Amino acid sequence: MIELLKVPSLLTVQDSGRRGYRKLGVPVSGFMDDYSARIANHLVGNPGDAPLLEFLLAGPTIRFNASCVFAVAGDVEVKLNGVPVEPWTSHWAKRGDILEVETLRGRLYGYIAFAGGIKCESLLSSCSTYPKAGLGRPLKAGDKLNLGYAVLTGKDGRYLPPELRPDYSSKEKTVRVVLGPNLDHFTEEGIETFLSESYTVTPESDRMGYRLDGKAIEHSERGADIVTEPLLPGTVQVPASGKPIVMMRDAQTTGGYAKIAVVATADLSIVAQSRPGERLGFRAVSVDEARELLIRREKTLMAIKDFLDGKMHAYRIKAGGEELIAFTKVEKE
Amino acid sequence: MQPTIKPAGDSALVISFGEFIDEEVTTKIHAIADAVEKAKFEWLVEVVPAYSTVYIFYDPLKASFSEVKAAIESRLQVSPESFKGRLVEVPVVYGGEYGPDIGFVAEHNGLTVDDVIEIHSKPTYRVFFLGFLPGFAYLGGMDERISAPRLEKPRLKVPAGSVGIAGKQTGIYPLESPGGWRLIGRTPLRLFDPEREPPTLLRPGDMVRFVPIDESEFREFYEREWGEKND
Repeated sequence: MIELLKVPSLLTVQDSGRRGYRKLGVPVSGFMDDYSARIANHLVGNPGDAPLLEFLLAGPTIRFNASCVFAVAGDVEVKLNGVPVEPWTSHWAKRGDILEVETLRGRLYGYIAFAGGIKCESLLSSCSTYPKAGLGRPLKAGDKLNLGYAVLTGKDGRYLPPELRPDYSSKEKTVRVVLGPNLDHFTEEGIETFLSESYTVTPESDRMGYRLDGKAIEHSERGADIVTEPLLPGTVQVPASGKPIVMMRDAQTTGGYAKIAVVATADLSIVAQSRPGERLGFRAVSVDEARELLIRREKTLMAIKDFLDGKMHAYRIKAGGEELIAFTKVEKE
Repeated sequence: MQPTIKPAGDSALVISFGEFIDEEVTTKIHAIADAVEKAKFEWLVEVVPAYSTVYIFYDPLKASFSEVKAAIESRLQVSPESFKGRLVEVPVVYGGEYGPDIGFVAEHNGLTVDDVIEIHSKPTYRVFFLGFLPGFAYLGGMDERISAPRLEKPRLKVPAGSVGIAGKQTGIYPLESPGGWRLIGRTPLRLFDPEREPPTLLRPGDMVRFVPIDESEFREFYEREWGEKND
């Protein structure tokens, strides 16, 4: 069991989200940055979708009431009993140890995974928190969480080198999108504005959606409102103000604003990790290109999992003047 | 009536009949949604119908947009009669503290409160789809004689189960939330319960009839449904 001593910001339990309930109006929820969250799980030997802690900017202080292996994903100062330990690395904590996670650098959401996962009440086949509908609640100081059963073997000391960590530090990010499906609600000029300007993430952004500021996107004579349609995380809606809103994991399941584009699944983590004040640019790709990006990202993530499991070597190589990471299988003697 | 099929990002596609609200199209949409769900494609994640569109969510690691599109096209020629929703009776106590705006709705339309109750509880409403909040049903078929504008200033807290009117629409709040609809009554039924499977009372395609009840019936029902007294 772990006990939360200090909770300085939004702290929730999340997993890969709810599937199958959208037609009943229940949002998917789940990890805002699924890539970092799944790496956090792999660092402690969990399946990628195991429930873990997601924090916004500043991490919690936690007391361990039983020994366990944990890992923190995020560029952040981590202390165990006051002694700095590495993030992106799995560590043993023993009964009575205190874990302090400070404030993230260069990103918005961080993850703390525990071997065996957090044991929580699964509601509608997920542990993801969605307080509006009574599906869990944000955690507060004094809360105690049980951990799932994990075999006590050496899963500590797994280390992810900086080259393999997702990097969100750039202040000007480009996000790839598939245009549509309500393109006829925008003028050609409006679409051009969306693809050529960059947009600033505003403080009115949360797990439901990120409101962006920048040059207004022009609607066609069909206007900003549509007959209510389903929507999904990554959808870029443009209300009458012309300022886009990117819907995120807690997005409601239907909406009435015209959608100019949907963010490629592979790039949704980039949006999630963008802080207020940072800028996002959008680049159109085809639906097949977006799928290709996702397939490549999944392959890299699987290679990282195998690397952490000791089944792969990772190499820094130079190809065509570009620094790349290559993986090869570990040959068994 | 041939729908268009377009991508909505790399993990969903939208089948669209256009932009309008029409009961016949909605019936067709429910039949398509049902046929796609029943086909149990291995890439299928879920199907979400709305007024004149159906969104098909798929796993892009298992199939491409064109593969999904090809598979879906063969399911579009379903008969609208192939899907039948259930009939759900929703008991409602009208007026009083449960429906504080019923007097306004009556006056606004030059009717008596009893007229409003009779007109509201007479038709069978179609659940077009659910959205906005978990368990919130978009109902079709309200008699325009009882339509009423939204509140100028939304209430901060509308109790779960409140039945309201907004313009030509009627609906039930599934959860306690802020809201600007004119409240005419309240049902003791639980529209959303995360511990139930399925978690919502209403599902897309269902038919709904409001049945007037009195306060003592409400209290009895409420206790059974929520496991607590309503004081």
